[in-house]
Amino acid sequence: MSIKVFDPTYASGGAIFELAPRVSDLVGKTVGLISNGKRGTVQFFSAMEQQLLEDFGAGQVIIRTKGNYSAPMEPEILAEASTWDVAFAGIGD
Amino acid sequence: MNFQSEIHTVEDALAAQEYFHSRKWTDGLPIVPPTADLVKAHLEWAMLEPDSLIGVEPVRARPIIAEKLAINSVMAGCLPMHFPLVVTAWTAMLQDEFLLHGASSSTGGCAILSIINGPTRKELGMDGTFNALGASDRATMAIGRAIRLALYNLMDVRPGEVDRSTLGHPGKISYCVAEDEENTSWLPLSVERGSPDGASAVTVMSAGAPRQIMNEWTTEPEQILETFVAEIKASMLHYSIWSGNFAIVVPPQLRSHFEKANWSKADIRQFVFEKARVTRGDWASCGKGMVVDEREEEVFRALPSSDDLLVIAAGGPAGGFGAVIPPWFGWKSRAVTMAVGACVDCEA
Repeated sequence: MSIKVFDPTYASGGAIFELAPRVSDLVGKTVGLISNGKRGTVQFFSAMEQQLLEDFGAGQVIIRTKGNYSAPMEPEILAEASTWDVAFAGIGD
Repeated sequence: MNFQSEIHTVEDALAAQEYFHSRKWTDGLPIVPPTADLVKAHLEWAMLEPDSLIGVEPVRARPIIAEKLAINSVMAGCLPMHFPLVVTAWTAMLQDEFLLHGASSSTGGCAILSIINGPTRKELGMDGTFNALGASDRATMAIGRAIRLALYNLMDVRPGEVDRSTLGHPGKISYCVAEDEENTSWLPLSVERGSPDGASAVTVMSAGAPRQIMNEWTTEPEQILETFVAEIKASMLHYSIWSGNFAIVVPPQLRSHFEKANWSKADIRQFVFEKARVTRGDWASCGKGMVVDEREEEVFRALPSSDDLLVIAAGGPAGGFGAVIPPWFGWKSRAVTMAVGACVDCEA
């Protein structure tokens, strides 16, 4: 005799997050880099900043670092990010 | 009861095993098929409705409802009477200061340790004596597994998905211990941490694997604690130097020496707080000289304060052993104690 069992997984009530519109290129754009703040991120994001400016023509690159790399970014960083054209949230270790 | 979960039909309980394994709904061990009758019994025992909100995971804003927790609790092998402890543990885990997302996703690979206090231990047959840290009885095994299975299924904390652990440790299967309150004069951990005396309670901690120590050659409390402190310092140097909640587990043989000398848990916590510290320069002794830089005299304490050491009375009667349980990563996740039946952000 068959048995009926419940699905044990989280059933989402709908999409909480929505992807931001894509940009076609980075020329002249303000690009933000949100670092998780680990020690290894400093060199990585410095190199990425240079590459964004020199190879992709970004107008400016802004680097912000989270206070706790295991927790979400601070509200002030999130508020500032809304003024950028593009944001990268990166994990370094 | 009105359930929200999707229903699947399987041939029998054996077929359910493969059905759940193939969907990554279980941890590699068999499950009890979560039928409506069993889930209902869990919810009724805890006096919860299926849609009762246990809490909201703060980082991913994911609400956890009683129905889903009960399904995972049934799967883990819990009895209905175990369910209130699973609910309490999860309520504690969802508090901001616990930082569940960080602890369950980190490469550091900690597990959620739950420590049970109060009369519920005896009602459920929990035994904090023999093999206290290694599946000492049905209730601790099943409750610890339910906590982990719910992480799998409700937060996607499966290896390679949200769980990014490099190594993990065996406590990720089940990591639950009942304090041996009957065989000690010490205050229960939950009472030390502010829970009412006589109330059942759960303390959760983002915890590394236990590191066993042994000192059978002294009866002096200070000397015994120096062995514990040495292990704490080793963890600070070999793993993570940052201060946070450490736990120590003290079985009866060593405990008897403290109790004869009238050492309370508070005395132990103060001693360890003062002694458990290393300098940055000590890193050079274990291959980490590259990060000592010019701050070699800088002192790092294991504990932010003496209150941050969790002293647990547990273990079998013979053997001069003990254990140090280090935190996942310093102060990022803080241990939380919650009484069973406590209501957080309840509606009036």
